[in-house]
Amino acid sequence: MFRLHDVSYLYPGRDAHKGAALSHVSVAVAQGEFRWLLGPSGAGKSSLLRILALDAQASSGMVEVLGVPVMQARRGVIARLRQRIGVVYQDFRLLDDLSVFDNVALPLRLQMRPESEIRHEVNAIMKWVGLGSRIDALPPQLSGGEQQRVAIARAVIHRPALLLADEPTNALDDRQATRLMNMFHRLAELGTTIIVATHNDALVRKYPAHAIDLMQGHLVQEG
Amino acid sequence: MALWSGTRRRDGLALRQAIPDRLLPFLVGAMAFLAALALAGGIGAHALSIRWTRGAGAVITVQVPQPDDPAAPAGTTPMGTPPASAIPGSPPGTSPATATRIQQAMSILSAMAGPAAVHRLSDGELRALLAPWIEQGSDLVLPMPAVIEVHAHDARPLPDDVTKALETQVPGIVMEHDSIWSDRLAALANSLQTCALLAICIVVAVSAIVIMAATRAGVQARRRAIELIHSLGATDGYIAGRFAWRVAALALAGGACGSVLAMPVLVMLSLLAAPFSGADMPDMHALLSPSAWSGMPPSQILNALPSSLLAMLVVLPVATAMLGWLTTQVTVRAWLRRLP
Repeated sequence: MFRLHDVSYLYPGRDAHKGAALSHVSVAVAQGEFRWLLGPSGAGKSSLLRILALDAQASSGMVEVLGVPVMQARRGVIARLRQRIGVVYQDFRLLDDLSVFDNVALPLRLQMRPESEIRHEVNAIMKWVGLGSRIDALPPQLSGGEQQRVAIARAVIHRPALLLADEPTNALDDRQATRLMNMFHRLAELGTTIIVATHNDALVRKYPAHAIDLMQGHLVQEG
Repeated sequence: MALWSGTRRRDGLALRQAIPDRLLPFLVGAMAFLAALALAGGIGAHALSIRWTRGAGAVITVQVPQPDDPAAPAGTTPMGTPPASAIPGSPPGTSPATATRIQQAMSILSAMAGPAAVHRLSDGELRALLAPWIEQGSDLVLPMPAVIEVHAHDARPLPDDVTKALETQVPGIVMEHDSIWSDRLAALANSLQTCALLAICIVVAVSAIVIMAATRAGVQARRRAIELIHSLGATDGYIAGRFAWRVAALALAGGACGSVLAMPVLVMLSLLAAPFSGADMPDMHALLSPSAWSGMPPSQILNALPSSLLAMLVVLPVATAMLGWLTTQVTVRAWLRRLP
């Protein structure tokens, strides 16, 4: 579902001598696979996620996401590709002046789905994440854990083909984390490729899966 | 449609906050008002140019001293100029031998320009012409020349052969062509038109800059939301379009207000400029009193404006909306290029 070949990434404005965020990384993940993305802070996990989320462009190498070589793709193609990707950001990135309902509905609205369908889908996912009664609240009125669940709901509501999650269980309790991991595995069974970046060793041990292990921008282990 | 617009309102861009609906329409309205004045100036200058070129410039004034004296012998008629008796419109029984100087001059000029274009001023017209210099009601005791006006289709002077024929058969004749003045007036009108065009260009440029600044401020205000929906898959066209339609709607409203507010001013200016278009000078006291306008139907007020200017005033709001749409599209798309 995505393929990276010899990909390097330099932070904008930083020269190569001071170290690349990613250096000559090659990795391929097929449709419906679940992978952990592991490594200490500064290993390049967030950079890899940004490249896969099409929020950053690799400095060199070949990047293919959902069958599209993104380095040569036009902006319109990239935008439509993003609509097939779901991202759970570490900082949630919710819009404070939109209600929970409208935050979660954003991906569907950008796809011009009918409002009746949007209402049905959002209500269903919000019940699933346990926030069915908070859909009219504004994000600042929610706790950190609730905001994270809203961010997760927004990432999966449009049934993405590729789901990228950066520390998605950070603000969740064990029960919610377990529910989330079960949902991820269920989505993977349905064909969604899932990459989850985490520092949580206990979680990785509890849900063993293949991993992409990074260290100082280099791929140290895949599989 | 309602569903669609309702959907768009909640996409996070919050355009009512990004581009408030007060300042931009006011600024665009002010620009539209100035543009309307500049357009009126341009159209007025164009009309004056045509009037001056086809009016004063196309009139040749011919003075014939001793009009009732006999003309020079027919043998002096130059080649190519028919004798007076052979010219349509000549007085019956007129022959080169018996024609007076005025008859001969009229004949030659009628042959050149056509009888309808040649007009001998009557005593009354002559008296009115000389009114500033003579006492009203007094008799003209001085021998007066006859005056003939020749209305030509263009501002060219009389042909050489006609001039020669007049000078030989009606010696002492004086011909005045107003083309020098009309050329100068036309040049003045052209420069006025150029000034109006320049003013319109400046107004358009300032409007575009104002719209660009307002759009940039709006984009900065909603930067976080734009970056988010961009990462969720919103295309550049979608984001730029949302801003562009908002600005176009505000510019349309501002342009309409500017056009409407310009109308009374233009009507007033049009009435003040009436003498230039051949109409009578209006009574200023009557014009400035509200009672003069209150009973007048709008159609009559609008009749004071040329139809081309009215059409321009109708088109102006649409043009401002298009300018707003285009400027915003370019501004937002340029800003979005910074995003991956």
